[in-house]
Amino acid sequence: MKTKMDFPSINERKPEGQGDGGQAYKVLIVDDSMFVKKQITQILSSEGFEVVGTAGDGLEGLEKYKELYPDVDFVTMDITMPKMDGISSLEKILEFDKDAKVIMVSALGKQDLVKKALLIGAKNYIVKPLDRVKVLERVLQSIK
Amino acid sequence: MNALEDKVESTVVEKIENVDYKMVTFSLAGKDYSIDIMKVREISKATHFTYVPNSLPYVKGVYNLRGDIISIIDLRTMFNLPSVKSEKDGSDGSDEIIILRLDDYLLGIIVDSIDKVVGISSRTIQPPHPIFGDINIKFIQGVVEKDSKLYIILDVESIFGQDAEDVEVTSVDFHQNEVFNENKPEQLNMGFISETLRTFSKFNVTDLNNKWVEKRFNEWKNLKGNSSKDLQLHSEADSEEFLSRFYSPDTGRFWSDDYRNLVYPFLNDIPGGSIRVWNPGCGKGYETYSIAALLSDKFKDSSIKIWANDKDLMSISNAPNLVVDKQTLPEYMDNYVIPVNNRFQFSKNIKDIILFEYHDITHPNTFPEVDIIIARDVLSFLGYSEQLRMINEFKEKLKADGILIIGRNEELPDNEWKRINGNNITVYKKIV
Amino acid sequence: MRVEYINPFVEAAFDILKEVLGDDVQRGELYLKSTSKAVMGVAAFVGLAGNVEGRVLFDMSMETALAIASEMNGETLTTLDDLGKATITELANMITAQAVTKLHDLGFTFDLTPPAIFTGENMEITDNEVEALIVPVIVKQGKIEINVAVRERT
Repeated sequence: MKTKMDFPSINERKPEGQGDGGQAYKVLIVDDSMFVKKQITQILSSEGFEVVGTAGDGLEGLEKYKELYPDVDFVTMDITMPKMDGISSLEKILEFDKDAKVIMVSALGKQDLVKKALLIGAKNYIVKPLDRVKVLERVLQSIK
Repeated sequence: MNALEDKVESTVVEKIENVDYKMVTFSLAGKDYSIDIMKVREISKATHFTYVPNSLPYVKGVYNLRGDIISIIDLRTMFNLPSVKSEKDGSDGSDEIIILRLDDYLLGIIVDSIDKVVGISSRTIQPPHPIFGDINIKFIQGVVEKDSKLYIILDVESIFGQDAEDVEVTSVDFHQNEVFNENKPEQLNMGFISETLRTFSKFNVTDLNNKWVEKRFNEWKNLKGNSSKDLQLHSEADSEEFLSRFYSPDTGRFWSDDYRNLVYPFLNDIPGGSIRVWNPGCGKGYETYSIAALLSDKFKDSSIKIWANDKDLMSISNAPNLVVDKQTLPEYMDNYVIPVNNRFQFSKNIKDIILFEYHDITHPNTFPEVDIIIARDVLSFLGYSEQLRMINEFKEKLKADGILIIGRNEELPDNEWKRINGNNITVYKKIV
Repeated sequence: MRVEYINPFVEAAFDILKEVLGDDVQRGELYLKSTSKAVMGVAAFVGLAGNVEGRVLFDMSMETALAIASEMNGETLTTLDDLGKATITELANMITAQAVTKLHDLGFTFDLTPPAIFTGENMEITDNEVEALIVPVIVKQGKIEINVAVRERT
């Protein structure tokens, strides 16, 4: 998707993806779509975030999280995936690390699904199609 | 010109015995043209084409005619004729279209304006002469004079490159109307009536409604006088007038108390418990709500489910949310409506038992076996082979003791269906 | 197809395509179709489950698929590679998911299955005993036919 904003010049403003120490926030992207992974990667890297891993289903996502831990700051999690869906993966990741910051990213926007994810412990919920502004806003909300 | 006038005179005199060719007439760039009515499936006013990019210049687009996608050809462009009307690309303005049936292929042609159906004697058709047309002679079947107008008869097969081929589907007990026995003017007239009913009103004359059509034709003769000219149906208005006596009581509106009382006794044989109904061709839903209310009243403790469907998207889309005025609402509906502003909506208890579907009954369906099928005045508007197919489908879907209600003036073959007596209502059970 | 199911699909298609491809989205007239259907070159499928069963098929030509995938990725794709295919399936997924969300708000519980994509010339989809609703949509990149076949679990 084309980004609608110009990239801010790095010299003028600190990229949002970097914490106070100048260190990039680390993200694990879990989605079965190559296109979505690319989209999210583009949006986040352009703002200084570092993508430390990707996974194509909920099970792989859980395993990668365990491997990367504690060097992962947050996770973006799709819901509709084969093998293990995003909600189950969310639950399992939280079992492993109760402070895990997981942001749901899905094309489904059903109210009860959103509520369920948030109640289980997701930090936020983004409905596709993805918008650069919205994604960055929600991610920053969730990690601060 | 005198020779021509004489010819017209003599045609008038002979006309009653010799009218054996009917054509739909129209104008194109100021001239009068016509097409054999046997090639015309219907006429239509189209307001909305879908433009097809990268097609030939005279292909204006495609049109969705109740599910069939047909190409729309602009004859003016095809024949390089000047456009009489102001430039319309067909997607906003409305165009008059003649839908042709060639073989089993449908095609629509845009013309300047459609005039009427004209009957002539085929002996008066003259071979084409280059002077009579702005278009290539090979596309002209002939020319004919009628009422001081000169019509150029188009040979649509040569224009659209199809071979005319008639595929007859007959079944032993169920026939289409036979047409064109030149030696029997009666049959000829009936044949013409059938053709025009089909063209203008999409009504198909078969064994289903033949008896009524004949009876009505006799009435029509008395009404219109015996001259052949006046007997024929020349326009949609004529056709609608002819058919005005056909429809079942309370078509297109809530059933009256009288009609409810007519239907009620036939429900006695239906075992309670779980009642399934199929209502094809339900239109806007008045009939459906009527039967829903009647069944709910009679079978208070049963689980009722009604599958109602129609091919007309506009009508069926509004059916679940139908809103009615106080005047239209019969008293027996009082328990089933809730007031909204100054009008009434249907309440949950009745809406929950009806499933309105946008569905073409000639397509496969997933309805279960049913106790009641209500298909009043629906079959007559299907093509001949579709009628056959649907009647078989009804036989399959109807439970052994189930009842089928069709139109007041329709009837089914008596070797397969047993008619149960009733005035003004046609109810059948299947012969198993 | 049940009347209440129609608008959610039509609206979802229109809304998502408009958002993802920009203006110029035109809806064609809806119609019903039965029997097998020749696919235009690229077909993305999303399954539906729940109180109903069925599927939604997104049918378009290869040219259209390439043009759409290019637009969505902000780069020109010359063949429908893995990225291109993933892009089209994601489009199918978003439209179906939004329709399912709307249906949910209306009280109908549908679920969707992960999408699949098929490409090839002279492909035919044969559905036995199924009637489908066709929602034609015309965008700048070409025509997309959304083919929805859904039936109640009786």
